[in-house]
Amino acid sequence: MNSFLVIPVLAQARFRPEFIWDNRDIFLGGVRLTLFIAIIAFSLATAMGLAVALLRMSKSRIVGPIMGAYINVFRAIPLLVFVLFVYYGIAIQFDLAISAIQAGILALTLQYSAWLGEIFRSGIQAVSDGQRQAALSVGMSRPQAFFRVVLPQATRIVIPPMGNMFIGMIKDSSLVYIIGVPELLRVSNLLANTTFRYFEVYLATVISYLILTTAVYFGVKYLEKRYALVDVLTSRVRSPFARRRSAQLLKLQEAVTTSRGSESTSGRDSA
Amino acid sequence: MGRTKDAEPVVRLRNIHKSFGANHVLKGIDLTVGQGQHVVIFGPSGSGKSTLLRTTNLLEAPDSGSVWFDGKEYGPGIEGEDLPRGKARLLREEIGMVFQQFNLFPHITALDNVALALRRVRKVKRDEAEYKAATYLDRVGLLDKLGAYPSQLSGGQQQRVAIARSLVMEPRVMLFDEPTSALDPELVGEVLAVMRDLAESGMTMVVVTHEMGFAREAGDLNIFMDEGVVVETGGRELYDGAREPRTRAFLRAIL
Ligand SMILES: Nc1ncnc2c1ncn2[C@@H]1O[C@H](COP(=O)(O)OP(=O)(O)OP(=O)(O)O)[C@@H](O)[C@H]1O
Ligand SMILES: [Mg+2]
Repeated sequence: MNSFLVIPVLAQARFRPEFIWDNRDIFLGGVRLTLFIAIIAFSLATAMGLAVALLRMSKSRIVGPIMGAYINVFRAIPLLVFVLFVYYGIAIQFDLAISAIQAGILALTLQYSAWLGEIFRSGIQAVSDGQRQAALSVGMSRPQAFFRVVLPQATRIVIPPMGNMFIGMIKDSSLVYIIGVPELLRVSNLLANTTFRYFEVYLATVISYLILTTAVYFGVKYLEKRYALVDVLTSRVRSPFARRRSAQLLKLQEAVTTSRGSESTSGRDSA
Repeated sequence: MGRTKDAEPVVRLRNIHKSFGANHVLKGIDLTVGQGQHVVIFGPSGSGKSTLLRTTNLLEAPDSGSVWFDGKEYGPGIEGEDLPRGKARLLREEIGMVFQQFNLFPHITALDNVALALRRVRKVKRDEAEYKAATYLDRVGLLDKLGAYPSQLSGGQQQRVAIARSLVMEPRVMLFDEPTSALDPELVGEVLAVMRDLAESGMTMVVVTHEMGFAREAGDLNIFMDEGVVVETGGRELYDGAREPRTRAFLRAIL
């Protein structure tokens, strides 16, 4: 962007779409860092959120309320304030070896782990206790019952709200511009302030965020469809997986049908 | 069918107490289930039947009393006795349970519902587990539903998958908690048919049910429970010749 000449304010009243194209590398660099921050922070927040949810549901009289307080505190602080606090208030003040990007990711992670913790908790609680009982009744251990039976069902329940949270994360990651992280908003501000082409710059910024969040929206739709429950033997789904699985199942049926005649004990029942 | 009380005991509950808060639900239950015996438990809603079954396989821990299974103690035990203690998880591998609401795992297929515990608990290889699971689905008449998810099955089919899911672990005892009471009337028969076959095959069964046709036919030992106590027990004659007025009143009301 340094090569760009500063143009007098009055001269730029006309909309110049090619300005955006000419500066595409700047915007793309910002988009890349925005995505990087959002993905890293969201992944960390997901792992922490699961831990927060599990601890929150703990029967202990100390752990549960502490996690309840954790959730309430982090949800109550405005994110912009929290970003400033983590970077200037802690990292800089106490001379910690933490970069602005790391501080930004930390702030986003902590706050989102509280939101995600609540989402996971409600997802887990939405799975009926009968599921846990059924899993235990066939001899599964408590961790197996949780990870093999309850959590997969909770995951399905939380996919749509998690998609919304990820969209929120992409938008909220713009707030780390305040500590100088050159993500999309920061590079846009710099470009606008040096070129005075505010309309073109912020139009490009708006469109970039719109593309990112729309992509996530369709990604979530795809996941929901991908994990839809279809019987591969009767559905017309033609994915390679469905075809392979349905061939396996047909072979299995055939093997069982053949063995019926030979073993007199395991005859086909009524019904 | 089935054998009578002098059969070798498999499960024995003695003086079982269980409370939920101030609600004293089981007030000193005694029950001995012999090998191959078919026990039928009936009684009004809230009398503690489900809690009793859940205590038998330690889904619910009794406050006091003995849960004895195959030579080992699984409950708090009886004062003065010193039996070897067993692990609840291992007990549950030996005791199957069928629930009123089926409780099939909705996120996996019928085949996976039946194969899951074989693979994860018994560590059977996938191919082998799926073959065995398919034979058990065949046994309940659902070989054509291997790939179906629970939501794509009728209630009766779901309950039959649930029975296969328990049977595939080859349990010594099967517990049934009102297995047909969540079903539309026209679907009750198919589930009872599977249970009859199971009873005829010699499986030890404890069945909470108000299906009196099934109870009269299969029940070697019949138990009327009310307000957390066993009010009356008897053989087949109980249904026509109950001594306790409470039993008689209840039977009159449901027949
Ligand atoms: N997990 C639980 N927590 C608290 N109370 C419970 C729990 N399970 C059962 N109860 C209470 O214990 C009592 C007995 O319940 P239970 O389900 O064993 O009765 P039931 O004989 O099976 O009745 P139903 O015919 O309606 O199934 C009821 O008052 C019930 O509210
Ligand atoms: Mg009940």
